[in-house]
Amino acid sequence: MLAKRIQPMVFQARRLYVELMFQVMGRALQAVSEIDASVQKEARALPEGFLFEMMVMPDGSRLIVEHTGDGRFHYHGDSAPRPVDLSIQFKHIAHAFLVLSFQEKTSVAFANDRMLVDGDISYAIRMTRILNRLETFILPRLVAERAVKEYPSNLHLPEKLLSAARIYLKVATNFVETVRA
Amino acid sequence: MTNQYYEFFCPVKVIAGKAALEHIPYELTGLGAKRPMIVTDKGVRAAGLLDPVLAACEESGLEIISIYDDVPPDSSTGVVKDIAGIYRREKCDSLIAVGGGSAIDTAKAVNILVSEGGDDIAKYSGAGVIKHPLKPFLVVPTTAGTGSEVTSVAVITDTAKSVKLPFTSSFLLPNAAVIDPRMTLTLPPHITAATAMDAMTHATEAFTCMAKNPLSDAYATAAIKKISKSLLKVMDNPKDRDNRLELAQASTMAGIAFSNSMVGLVHALGHATGAICHLPHGLCMSLYLPYVLEYNLETIREPLGELLLYLEGPEVYSSTPASRRAEASISALRKLRDELYKRCKLPRTLKETGSVEEHQLDTIAELAMDDGSMMFNPKEVTLEDARAVLKTAWA
Repeated sequence: MLAKRIQPMVFQARRLYVELMFQVMGRALQAVSEIDASVQKEARALPEGFLFEMMVMPDGSRLIVEHTGDGRFHYHGDSAPRPVDLSIQFKHIAHAFLVLSFQEKTSVAFANDRMLVDGDISYAIRMTRILNRLETFILPRLVAERAVKEYPSNLHLPEKLLSAARIYLKVATNFVETVRA
Repeated sequence: MTNQYYEFFCPVKVIAGKAALEHIPYELTGLGAKRPMIVTDKGVRAAGLLDPVLAACEESGLEIISIYDDVPPDSSTGVVKDIAGIYRREKCDSLIAVGGGSAIDTAKAVNILVSEGGDDIAKYSGAGVIKHPLKPFLVVPTTAGTGSEVTSVAVITDTAKSVKLPFTSSFLLPNAAVIDPRMTLTLPPHITAATAMDAMTHATEAFTCMAKNPLSDAYATAAIKKISKSLLKVMDNPKDRDNRLELAQASTMAGIAFSNSMVGLVHALGHATGAICHLPHGLCMSLYLPYVLEYNLETIREPLGELLLYLEGPEVYSSTPASRRAEASISALRKLRDELYKRCKLPRTLKETGSVEEHQLDTIAELAMDDGSMMFNPKEVTLEDARAVLKTAWA
């Protein structure tokens, strides 16, 4: 009985968590593309103006980023200025929650058919590598190991801490700017 | 509680064995089809492989309305449009693909156009675009390797834009796959070897990559057992119908396995090598398989060790210590490749192919990094890793 009563609250909390994580990830993608050379190198292969979306089906939370050129991303929030070029879609909010709460790795979610790719698969692979790189920076190692297939052996603590601090600072600044606007 | 989750789907009726072709008229009638069109290529027709299909239909009073026998090895949007035009003009109501991967993929794409309408196949490209069942469709494979008869994917080249268009939908799957030993009896030795190793790779990667699941495992191990037992027998005696049938069935089983559990780095490297150096797919698979297994070894030690039972049989499996079984599986595959090299010079290294230059390895590695199969490889592959595997495979 109690479980039935609190179920709507659990669903609401899960929805809010996924929405918040998308907002953080979108901003963090923009931030990491401004500071990390590896991410910039990966992103340069994407066409200029390339719009990437990550969303929950059928019409749930989403994040949209644009490759503005030279390996830089711009976070557009949850609305795209034009049809997106690549969309990674979670089949259900429960699946998005599994991935975004680091209970299931992104690659495992793909293998488990939790997500669909609409667009060029090679760009999806590239974006997944970028997301993995981002997660290794911004998450504590123990959590990051649950999120990515393999934690990079060449990422050492000083570089990780410094990059994470710069990314979080940029994310926080972006949040503040959004609120002010 | 386990976190395991998987999906498995294969609605294709498999009609396999002696006189399987003679079931075609019954199957089509059961689907309400009376005016079938055959899609095939010149090689199949020249080899006389169409004759038993036509005879089987004629004897049952089923008239084949049209035969298109000009499918090129790399089928294009223009070919698909032309065939769809003939299909409509002749008022056909069903399709039979007779051939290898290209003829089957072309027929899948034609089925989209004649069922959904229009002339522009490109607009149906992508995943999940097709929402309705298509026209009755039968596939008669003439090679034992691709597994296209049980996969829900087709790839067609858009010649105008010079890109390969992928089509993915469960509606692309045929209603039935007809596996008849007569259709592979005349396959030349090097194609028999390369296509069988393609199937071996499908099964091995299905069993060792990230999306493996209990049902695909069952198909994969059965396929590996059949190929291990029958391939060299067929190479020594190409007219051995029983073992030809074993290989053809193994190919279909491996196709069912990998279409439900995906493949990994062998395919990523193979696709890139095929695109850059124009090497046949099966050859690339055969070549890369042991090197990639060695690279993935520590991540896949347990499943790879299990495969020894199917590769070498129970005696070798039980006499090999559990800790050495994974290495023994790789050795078994190397041994098989050496035997194939002895019999038909199927290359074991990139250098032996004579079609790859050492300076192309970096380009192959870079292209492989963006391949969709990379996602399902059990180990995270970096560009340096891909380069290292290619270097090992060089000579």
